[in-house]
Amino acid sequence: MFELFQWLQNLSFMTFIRESGWEYPIVMSTHLTCIAIFGGLIVITDLRLLGWAFTEKSIADVVNGLRWWKRIGFLIMFAMGFTLFGSKASEYYPNPYFWAKMSFLTLVLIHAIIFRPMVYNHPEQLDASPVIPTRAKAAGALSLLLWTGVLCCGRLIGYWEPPQRQNPVAMNHFQEHVLPR
Amino acid sequence: MLLLQINSIADALNSSEWVFPIAECFHIAAFAWSIGLIAAVDYRMLGFGIQNSKPSEVLHDTAPWTILGLAVVLLSGPVLFLSDVRMYLHNSSFIFKMCALAVALVFNFTVHWKVAKSDTVSPPVRVVTAIVSLALWISVVFGGLFIAFV
Repeated sequence: MFELFQWLQNLSFMTFIRESGWEYPIVMSTHLTCIAIFGGLIVITDLRLLGWAFTEKSIADVVNGLRWWKRIGFLIMFAMGFTLFGSKASEYYPNPYFWAKMSFLTLVLIHAIIFRPMVYNHPEQLDASPVIPTRAKAAGALSLLLWTGVLCCGRLIGYWEPPQRQNPVAMNHFQEHVLPR
Repeated sequence: MLLLQINSIADALNSSEWVFPIAECFHIAAFAWSIGLIAAVDYRMLGFGIQNSKPSEVLHDTAPWTILGLAVVLLSGPVLFLSDVRMYLHNSSFIFKMCALAVALVFNFTVHWKVAKSDTVSPPVRVVTAIVSLALWISVVFGGLFIAFV
């Protein structure tokens, strides 16, 4: 696995991004912007499924109207995220928050596998029901939770440092003054 | 005196290594939420997004949630700022972000709301308003991220 990460990181494109000046933050900003202008579509769908907003609009109008925009947004976001990861893959490898984020993304995938046939592919059935079925509310609530998890772990990736790269002065201080207590 | 006060706030915020990252998570989740909902109105003004609905209806349905999200953004932002006031005030990207944010907020609650609420406005005006709105919010996000890189 680690060898695969190293191979990825050593590709010329990934090396270029890593060693670049402005390209890296631009890729990162684009990743973040996609979260802002496409993530909101997920929020809207979830709020509609929960029955908290857009209740005058049918679930079919909301789900079907936003579906392709969410897909396009996800594709751009994924491409940018993969570039960020790939350019520093071996640094991501030991990062627990990276793996936590990947776990949340896996749960998002499982969510899609479970709820797509039950909810998202048949919004007309949900509209036909007098109250929003529990399975649709569950899909909306879980989606909000899982994506929040993805987002928070994604941000926390940036805060984790491998132990040996911590400031030697601080480590020294820690060992001499903090540990003995 | 003011400086001392700012320093003591910063010390309190910096006393735990978790305050900043957690505030940042709230900041990002809430801007994704609020800018995303504003963008949904813009998409409708551009003619796509939620089917069979007017921009005014999308605005009406999103507005309370957008304001909730913006409130969380505007509360978590100052926590980040107060942790290191001097650094932020000398950061050109931060200054850019604040200017873009001020323009974006004013634009959103004046022109954007007015155009979105009016179902009789001419299509070009609607399209231009949506594009300006998206561009303003995107520049706020870019300005925010570049704080760490300038």
